Amino acid sequence: MEEHIAIKLNKAIHQKARLGIMSILMASEEVDFNYLKDRLKLTDGNLSSHLSLLEKEKYIKIKKIFVKKKPKTLFKISDMGRQAFAEYLENLEKIIRSTP
Amino acid sequence: MNEFKKQEALENIELIKELVLQTKKNIGHYGGGWICFIWGIFSFTGVAGQRLLIPHGPLIGVWWIALSVVAGYATYLVSRHYAKTQPVQKGHGNMRYFLLFWIPLLLLGYTLAAFIGSTPSLPAEYISLSILLVVSTGYLIIGFTFFKGILYMGIIGYVGSIISAIYFLEYSDIILGILFGTGLIITGFVINKQWKNI
Repeated sequence: MEEHIAIKLNKAIHQKARLGIMSILMASEEVDFNYLKDRLKLTDGNLSSHLSLLEKEKYIKIKKIFVKKKPKTLFKISDMGRQAFAEYLENLEKIIRSTP
Repeated sequence: MNEFKKQEALENIELIKELVLQTKKNIGHYGGGWICFIWGIFSFTGVAGQRLLIPHGPLIGVWWIALSVVAGYATYLVSRHYAKTQPVQKGHGNMRYFLLFWIPLLLLGYTLAAFIGSTPSLPAEYISLSILLVVSTGYLIIGFTFFKGILYMGIIGYVGSIISAIYFLEYSDIILGILFGTGLIITGFVINKQWKNI
């Protein structure tokens, strides 16, 4: 019980939209903005703010490219992000295991 | 509080699983299975229509071209739909499937045009055989270059065409239509099953 109370979840990841972003990025090498928007059903502004926060934490990397002369933003998970996500998952498991 | 946390943790793990699985399924899935179904149906319908139109001669060519346009458009719609589900839309991802189904289609169109335009005296029973040989060549090229699974379609096409020409010339169009149609529909099921099992 004591152990459970001491578990602290990473606030940068522990939020539905950001958790969704991180999960998708874990499963794919690179993802573009529209894919995230469609999958997570978020508005442009909302998604941008979550992505900015994850970038600030250095959990994701952003790349801008041109496809058929149109700008496209691609997102990729960083090594730091991968590690943070693995720790977050471990903590979720600890919570589940520590609660009867 | 603890119960709430456990519930939330379980929900989050479920969300992660769902999104990871969905993303993995979407990667590289350009609807190949559905495109195979379209061309399988195309094959059955085409041959059935050809049989019905035999008394009207030149209408057979028009029938195949019209049907090709409909199937081609359906292929385009399916490809476009699945291209939208790709994590990265770089605009050239579905080139493989484009080649997979459009090369035979273009070859088919070309052959039809050649027969209608330059070889009007070719006996009707050889037309479908010749067309299917050209389509089989297309499948062989694609099989060697991109997608080994489709290689069998080319081999089946060649073997089937030769056997039909020797033994069942009168019914060769029906035999080959069924052979191609069934082959494509089975390929479609295999492709779709592969994606479902990811």
